[in-house]
Amino acid sequence: MRKVVIFAAVALLAVCLAPAMAWSAPKEIKIGVIYPLSGGAAAAGRELRAGAELAADIANGLIPGVNMTMAKNAGIKSLGGAKIKLIFKDHQGNPQLGADLAKKLILDDKVVGILGCYHSSVTKTVSAVAERYGIPMINGSSTSPDLTKRGFKWFWRTTPHDKWFTKDLFEFLSGLSKGKVRGVKAVPKDQISRLAAACEKTEWGSHVAIEIASFAKEYGFTLAANILYASKSPDLSSEVQSLIAAKPAAMLFASYTSDAILMIKTLKSMKAKPKIIWGQDAGFDKPEFVALGDDVVGILTRSVFLPSVTKMKPLAGQVNALFIKKMGHDLDGASARAFTGLQTWVHVLEKAGSTDPKAIQKACNTITIPGKELVVPWVGIKFSTKGDEIGQNVLGGGLIGQYQKKGGKVVLEVVYPFDIATADMIFPLKGY
Amino acid sequence: MEALAVQILKSLVSGLLMGLVFALVALGLTVIFGVMDIVNFAHGEFLMIGMYTTLLTSPLLGVDPVLTLPLCVLVGAVLGLLCYHGLIRFLLRGPMIAQLFGTFGLMLFLRNMALLVMGSEPRIIHAGWLVGKSFAVGPNVVLESTKLAAAVLSVVSFLVIWWLINRTKVGRALTATSLDAEGARYMGISTERMNALAWAVGGASVAVAGGLLVNFWPVEPGVGLLFTMIAFATVALGGFGSVRGAFVAGIIIGLIVNVPPVWDALLRTIDAVGLKNLEIHSLKYTMVYAIYFLIMVIRPQGLFGWKQ
Repeated sequence: MRKVVIFAAVALLAVCLAPAMAWSAPKEIKIGVIYPLSGGAAAAGRELRAGAELAADIANGLIPGVNMTMAKNAGIKSLGGAKIKLIFKDHQGNPQLGADLAKKLILDDKVVGILGCYHSSVTKTVSAVAERYGIPMINGSSTSPDLTKRGFKWFWRTTPHDKWFTKDLFEFLSGLSKGKVRGVKAVPKDQISRLAAACEKTEWGSHVAIEIASFAKEYGFTLAANILYASKSPDLSSEVQSLIAAKPAAMLFASYTSDAILMIKTLKSMKAKPKIIWGQDAGFDKPEFVALGDDVVGILTRSVFLPSVTKMKPLAGQVNALFIKKMGHDLDGASARAFTGLQTWVHVLEKAGSTDPKAIQKACNTITIPGKELVVPWVGIKFSTKGDEIGQNVLGGGLIGQYQKKGGKVVLEVVYPFDIATADMIFPLKGY
Repeated sequence: MEALAVQILKSLVSGLLMGLVFALVALGLTVIFGVMDIVNFAHGEFLMIGMYTTLLTSPLLGVDPVLTLPLCVLVGAVLGLLCYHGLIRFLLRGPMIAQLFGTFGLMLFLRNMALLVMGSEPRIIHAGWLVGKSFAVGPNVVLESTKLAAAVLSVVSFLVIWWLINRTKVGRALTATSLDAEGARYMGISTERMNALAWAVGGASVAVAGGLLVNFWPVEPGVGLLFTMIAFATVALGGFGSVRGAFVAGIIIGLIVNVPPVWDALLRTIDAVGLKNLEIHSLKYTMVYAIYFLIMVIRPQGLFGWKQ
């Protein structure tokens, strides 16, 4: 009889405790997302936010029928189906504000981790806060090489960085002189060897300028002018005058949206005639920039995502269709990478099976996400844990696109990598 | 050497044009300060509203952006009057600091209203008489239509304001108010009305500048700050409240920011490889503010300032 009583008591206890144990797994997982939702880069911020939101909706099972693992789980399976909740904060492109917001997210909102921040300068301060509090941060779209050179233990970056992208540019220019570019006969190298660059002077642009200078030397190009300019400048005519005076075959830029628009307008009004204009993504990849219409036709921009990627990757096409439904236009470099950044968070949480920072850290350092899961044309995601680039995804890759006019609409066509080019390149630029 | 001479000529032209644009933006600020001793922090937001006025009304009315300028004058003047009667009038009763923070608050209010209504993306005008047009003078010097038009408008505005202040009865009343408001009141001048007039003129002149600038510059709610920082330096450099000073200081600043290409050309001429790494372009506004500080130290009232 006594045994029966004990058995009954234990059984009762188990029945009572079992739901309690299930309840102890969180119902929702808060991720702090810090983006520039207002200010000069707000256009980018809007894309980033939409990308992250779409990924969260898919991961939470709100959108059925997407052919990726996280879409099939409806929440984080290893955490009892907990849903992802994004808490957005606006850093306005201000590193100090970003750091304050990160502190608030960690201390007040008690977020499990952070995603952001687009501007490398802001990512730098925010990741320093995350590092101090031991909260994991995944960065999807800041490309200053320095960010992963600091040996941080709580910072991981999915996007390839400017060093890779700038190398792509020089591979492309070399290819141009060897006749590898689709639709263009080999151009003698001395005709395209003179370059001039203008980069905005924050964390991101200054590093792009350094990368351009070092690769120009390595690949045997002449950098006739390498200008750093104050971003959000009311006037860029003095910079443009110096660029034109350097008589370059190619002009290279690293600019955010309003600067990029003003730069192209000033180049046009000063009747610049370079053979090639190349932009390091950012401002050169935004709908407001494309709205310049005929003036952007022929301009190159590096990117991690172009709508024509959907021709090669059906999954990207599927997600792109959903994005068009949400925003009315295609995914771009910003939104596709924000999507991938949040997707990485979902995979990491799934692998960690816990919201404990240590478990997440371990999951980040050991995870491998295959390329077939991603919308971006990468081999996959796997973070480096040793060497001089701690936390950098080593399986990423870049694209170079060119604005071309198809059926009265300005679209981006892939011109690099050469083997996946989607159109003949326009060369040289017709000039303004 | 020839390249250097050409570059100097180009920079002079470009600097003069940009300088007149800066002067135009600073004009309203100096008028308001001259009459009332109030620094209008919301000045850039008036500019932004002028830009949006043209951006929105031009397609709505189906006319060229340039033809909406009279509307900008109207919007700017009404806005100035509204701000004066709705806010500034009350601030005048408080200490100086209340006036400072009052216009600062106005700036934040207008900017955030613009964010709410217009969104934060930069927007541009796609077509118009001035849009994307420029013409070459001689073989090398290019004149940009929008800047040229703004420069002409700047000269005209300064002449009109100068005439208004120095040649009309209203102008004398304005001057009297700015010299000694209490004395002016004893003489039967309605200083209240003079203050309101200053705000209307200040608002109208900067809004019309905005309406013209949007033919070239992209507009977003934060655009005012780019120009007001320069406008403050212009007004301080020229002398607080001095119309002539703002004109001259604007041109000086325009020329200073066009020094870098001359420097680059000079380095190319003398082939000074070692000096090329100097980031002179990113320092161009630093040079402006450095000269501003220097003037403040040597001559606190500014180049043409008469208020002590």
